[in-house]
Amino acid sequence: MNITLPSSIPPSSRTLLPRLTRRAFLQTGGVLVVSLATPRLRAQASHAAPSRPISIASWLELRGDGTIIVRTGRTEIGTGMSGFYPQVIAEELCVRPEMIKLIMGDTDCTPDGGYSAGFLTGADNLRKVGAYTYQALLRLASKKLRTPVELLTVENGVVSGNGRKISYTDLVRNQRLDLTIPVSGEPASVDPKSWNGISGLDGLVVLGNPPTRPMRKYKVIGTSNPMPGISDKVTGRTQWTCDVALPNMLHARMVRPPTLGSTLISSGRLDKTMYPNAQVIVKKNLVAVVSPNEWEAVTASQVVAVDTKWTGWTGLPASDKLTETLRNYEWTSPSESKGSIEETAAALGNSAKQISAAYEQPFVKHAPIGPFVAVADVRADGSVTVWSHSANSQGLRAQIANTLSTSVDKVVVRWLDHAGQFGRTTFGGDGAEGDAALLSQITGKPVRVQWTLQDDLAWSASSPGWVEDITCGIDANSHITAIKSAFYSPQSNDARIVGAVLAGVPTSQPKPGYWIATEWPYDRIAHRREEVYGMPNLGIGSPSGIGMRGLIMRTPGQRQQNFALESLLNEAAAATAIDPIAFRLAHTSDQRLIELVQATAKAADWEPRPSPNPHARSADDNQLHGRGMCLMVRQNSCWAGIAEIIVTPSTGVIQVTKFAIGADPGKIINPRQLERCMLSGVVMGISEALKEEVTFDTGKITSTLWTSYKILTMAEMPEIKIVQISREDKGYGGGSEAANAVCPPAIAAAFHDATGIHPRRIPLTPAYVTRLLQAARTVS
Amino acid sequence: MADQLTLNVNGRDCVVTAAAETPLLYVLRNELKLSGPRYGCGVAQCGACAVLVDGAEVRSCITPVASTTGKKVTTLEGLPSLWAQSKGIAADAGTLHPVQQAWIDEQVPQCGYCQSGMMIVAAELLATNPTPSVAQIKDAYTNKPPSPHLCRCGTYAAIIVAVQRASFAMKA
Repeated sequence: MNITLPSSIPPSSRTLLPRLTRRAFLQTGGVLVVSLATPRLRAQASHAAPSRPISIASWLELRGDGTIIVRTGRTEIGTGMSGFYPQVIAEELCVRPEMIKLIMGDTDCTPDGGYSAGFLTGADNLRKVGAYTYQALLRLASKKLRTPVELLTVENGVVSGNGRKISYTDLVRNQRLDLTIPVSGEPASVDPKSWNGISGLDGLVVLGNPPTRPMRKYKVIGTSNPMPGISDKVTGRTQWTCDVALPNMLHARMVRPPTLGSTLISSGRLDKTMYPNAQVIVKKNLVAVVSPNEWEAVTASQVVAVDTKWTGWTGLPASDKLTETLRNYEWTSPSESKGSIEETAAALGNSAKQISAAYEQPFVKHAPIGPFVAVADVRADGSVTVWSHSANSQGLRAQIANTLSTSVDKVVVRWLDHAGQFGRTTFGGDGAEGDAALLSQITGKPVRVQWTLQDDLAWSASSPGWVEDITCGIDANSHITAIKSAFYSPQSNDARIVGAVLAGVPTSQPKPGYWIATEWPYDRIAHRREEVYGMPNLGIGSPSGIGMRGLIMRTPGQRQQNFALESLLNEAAAATAIDPIAFRLAHTSDQRLIELVQATAKAADWEPRPSPNPHARSADDNQLHGRGMCLMVRQNSCWAGIAEIIVTPSTGVIQVTKFAIGADPGKIINPRQLERCMLSGVVMGISEALKEEVTFDTGKITSTLWTSYKILTMAEMPEIKIVQISREDKGYGGGSEAANAVCPPAIAAAFHDATGIHPRRIPLTPAYVTRLLQAARTVS
Repeated sequence: MADQLTLNVNGRDCVVTAAAETPLLYVLRNELKLSGPRYGCGVAQCGACAVLVDGAEVRSCITPVASTTGKKVTTLEGLPSLWAQSKGIAADAGTLHPVQQAWIDEQVPQCGYCQSGMMIVAAELLATNPTPSVAQIKDAYTNKPPSPHLCRCGTYAAIIVAVQRASFAMKA
């Protein structure tokens, strides 16, 4: 049975229409399976081949027992996707979200692939899957109830019409129905032509525009539905990636080189009387110790590490020379640019005043609480299963197949919960998976690789340091007429498998570059020219080939570029002696943004005045008080942050005492979970603003413990106020990710408000604050 | 060399075979299949591995297993029976420690990796100070040796509310 063509689908898409087919009558049970039509299958269909269910996992199964199984290649990364997706499907199907069992991430059980960095694309797919299924069910019900579709109503999975009712369960009872829906996209594959070295990372996209439920009629979305996995996490029932234990499994600890460029001279030996079950494994520069007993693997690896000899390498600039290194690099043309050079230059030339600044930040880390861990089982028949916490299972699957020189269809990636990684596996690489797969291939046994904290902080990829030059022109009316910016950073897309590089086997090859991440909030600034430059990884040409691998991290690119933009806006507001909020609102006509900023300012009891704070010094003369704000537009969402801080000049310590954060992400799906993500995002953002810095010498990362890579503690957390604006007419926006990015510019602005000094670098550590205050005293 | 050691974990005696210096964490996870305590840093800097030993929080990643013989070890999985015992009630499969119930009610975990350790701290704190102030809660999670309890997702605000909620529930 064909589904009626939704009027919004153009005739040319007719071949992509969803098809509902009865495959069989069943003696018991019943099921409606929603699977996908690939472009290749459509081509077959045009040759009159019979349409048949394809042998990959379905999106959705409506089972005769009332359960609804929904599958997505996306995964839970701690922001709440596992709760949001059932809400989205439940809304379109008119069922309760508890009826939905969500399967995430396993490559052999989910259809679409795609990265888990954002909620939006995955939600759009599932929303359409739900809508197509709903339409198909209405058609079935229409026939059964002998009532036109338009006259049917549905509540909690029961269709009513013509005075009769029938449940979804009864509609599919004793038959197998296949609904085939149109998709486009390509599977993930290692692709040297791709910027990331891997293509197909977005996964499959559901095509067409089936009629979806109007937001004003939502019953499930907009409610604080509980996150499904929480009870298990709280009671100890969750199976985490680190919990996978297979028969005959070996535990492995890696013996890493002393620098990011060293190569192996000779590996250490094991005293078999001390470590009877342990074994040293070497493949080129990949060295590990395996044992059936984890503690034996740990202790034996420490002994082997002492005895293993490596070449030296000093190809890094050292972290205190990072800015100098970026400045001295011979940049050529930008990776990406926007806006007219000539018009912006002319507007700057005609301005009454120009303000120029250079902002910078060192490398920072994703730094999950649980270091990378993975289990791989490479079997004699060539099949491979990898248990992982990757945020892109299909991308990782393609990577592992490439590294093991086998075909993708031999590899299954099973996804399990683990510590939040904040974007570092979005491109399908990095981590312990490559180590585990190679060690399993060599030993012929399942291998569990647990990186140590030191391994993780020294050997995982980092979010690269950067510098940005930015200039604005201001006219006689204190209005910015033009902004010119140039952002410089090492590349942020290195998803190479670290074990593969060390072992000298194939892995992806990313290209250097960067991208403009800023979404422009200031439509009343007439001219702008943005340029971004991306250089190769520092130390990429090292003998081992590793170097400082750069990767995206939460709110990537925009976190950095928005810091420069908003810091400049703050400097311009101060230079014109205008209240920072009033100054910003004079440069935008975006009503959503204006309303959000005003609501956040109200929550923060913001009193309009210019910075710096004329009453910064407290009565006891020991502390300086300041407040600052910033805004951001990202992925159809508006954000605002307002920080209040106290600076103690004698110690250089900044305490953020209050933070108000506002978000308008269009329609809010789950207010409580959004609040959770906003609260926690503020913690992460303050941590970045005040503390986080990867230090490295000329060969290696040196901040490899929590005492040297410091993150915010509970006592340092301020009182946080949350402002949420939900809208019925703006679709969905990104609601969870970006909360971290509004903290650093607001805190930097608050520092200026307190001290009169514009900080042009984060983190605002006590040492840096002390230097800034001393320099200001010297000048004055 | 491996020894036979008798431990009391979550109210039950059990015999394990492990070298005396093996950190308790590895024995709990690999021998006793308790996945509540987790490997975070291995050097007592994060708190993901925290358990109670005779009611006091310790970091199992650096605690030699032999040092816990003759003592009562409680992991996340043992919090329900610990609570039931303290209240003199019979524990069944559905019993939760008020701290766990508060963690569910407040939807505290995001990735959840550190939360076993966070709940262990809460259980210890509330056993010694039934009505902690916000400052005392922050102090317990930050300043008590050997290190602060770290959460990279940043769930600290939710943890504070959950501890207060559990405190209220435990008084009832």
